[in-house]
Amino acid sequence: MIAVGIARSPAPRSRRATRNWSQVWNRAGEQTAFYCRTLVEIRIAFAQYPTEIVRLIAQMSLGTGALAVIGGTTVIVGFLTFSAGALIAVQGYNQLAGIGVEALTGFLSAYVNVRLIAPLVAGIGLAATIGAGATAQLGAQRISEEIDALEVMGIRSVAYLASTRVVAGVVVVIPLYCVAVLMSFLAARSGTTAIYGQSTGVYDHYFNTFLQPVDLIWSFLTAIAMAVSIMLVHTYYGYTASGGPAGVGEAVGRAVRSSLIVAVFVTLAISLSIYGQSGDFNLSG
Amino acid sequence: MIPTTSLTAPLRAVGGFFAMALDVVVLLFKPPFAWHEFVEQSWFVARVSIVPTLMLSIPFTVLTVFTLNILLVEFGAADFSGTGTALGAVTQIGPIVTVLVVSGAGATAMCADLGARTIREELDALRVLGINPVQSLVVPRVLAATLVAAALVSLVTIVGIIGGFVFSVFVQHVTPGAFASGLTLLTGLPEVVLAVVKGALFGLAAGLIACYKGISVGGGPSGVGTAVNETVVYSFIALFVINVITTAAFVKVTM
Repeated sequence: MIAVGIARSPAPRSRRATRNWSQVWNRAGEQTAFYCRTLVEIRIAFAQYPTEIVRLIAQMSLGTGALAVIGGTTVIVGFLTFSAGALIAVQGYNQLAGIGVEALTGFLSAYVNVRLIAPLVAGIGLAATIGAGATAQLGAQRISEEIDALEVMGIRSVAYLASTRVVAGVVVVIPLYCVAVLMSFLAARSGTTAIYGQSTGVYDHYFNTFLQPVDLIWSFLTAIAMAVSIMLVHTYYGYTASGGPAGVGEAVGRAVRSSLIVAVFVTLAISLSIYGQSGDFNLSG
Repeated sequence: MIPTTSLTAPLRAVGGFFAMALDVVVLLFKPPFAWHEFVEQSWFVARVSIVPTLMLSIPFTVLTVFTLNILLVEFGAADFSGTGTALGAVTQIGPIVTVLVVSGAGATAMCADLGARTIREELDALRVLGINPVQSLVVPRVLAATLVAAALVSLVTIVGIIGGFVFSVFVQHVTPGAFASGLTLLTGLPEVVLAVVKGALFGLAAGLIACYKGISVGGGPSGVGTAVNETVVYSFIALFVINVITTAAFVKVTM
């Protein structure tokens, strides 16, 4: 037997650990750089690619392919918030009825829907529909080397692909969020009054008393902040996809995982900083 | 000609989905069962889901507990925050976070993996070798998703209650003893069983959707991306519907 000498580096395990750790660290840096670049180049997107922004807005609000057949993003987000609002009726009404204050279901709808359910569910819906769609498109373009072709043609690829999508996401989220909030109110109201048989007057009284317009505006701002962060995460994963067709699928999965976490953390941070320790309302008068 | 195809395409997809689901049910009881694949897939789904589970359930509970506690303090019933946390974590947050994790993390990873195999024509190769891909790949995946989702519900619930405890006691100054004693006031065994059953149903539905989308992928890289995208959307919709229906049925039965 010939003794084969393998050149071994000293301490291979700790080296590997350091390399993994530094890769994670570098990836965080790369993401931050990409996000900053995307946000800075929004200016260029507005100046040079306004038609692309309009095209993306149309595409995002209606959805593409099989998703457009069932009504596109609007219907999906509306449906998700409707079923979440229905939960308020089912769970809230019955729990409150357990302690004899089912009249307050209207209050619960005005309070929980605006602060928690509508922003969270709309954000989740955005990540799943528009966000994942953007990752799939950009990933496919990256794999078929269309993004490199754009660069060769002298088009700023980040501005053209990522910044325009962030802008379009923000524009689309505004009407979308109106639909989301209305659907969650409608679901809670019709569930409570039509199914559980509470009188509409009682429901509307408590609902209107405790619905605060300022809360709604904050909730809108939460939705917009969430749309920006979701689009940033999804365009990053699409833009940097690699590894053939399988890589695109993996990129979409990874992007959905990260953007769900980001969306929930954004909601948490914003609602903690807006509402603070107090509830900002007077129930006991 | 175009209108007919665009009308029949969704119907065809629904039909294909139900056909595959039926195949899964039939082949479930037909030996040989792919044990190796089942264990491997359970580990795979658990591995991709565990970090999102922790990262999603903590902020979700904190948010809900925070909102609930404001309400309870206003009522003058801050001592019942444990009750609210347990109720929220077991009946709603547990299942909803599991929905998000199972469809956002588990189903996407599963669909991407199967879709890549379909694109590389590995499934056709299996068929040529006389192996039914539904039996050897889909059945273990669906079962793995079901098992892991049911297990995730308990993880989410535990993490949620611990997070709620830390947040209520250390940030909102609720008495720890009152919090702990209030936990089981409204939440008992039936609620916990319902939560686990919900989790299993979510896993089943998400696994079926992911596998169907994965094995019916076509059209190169953009096809896989679109399939994963559709998996997320369809499984969200299916899971939210299942959640509302099971909650309503449970409330009807117990109250």
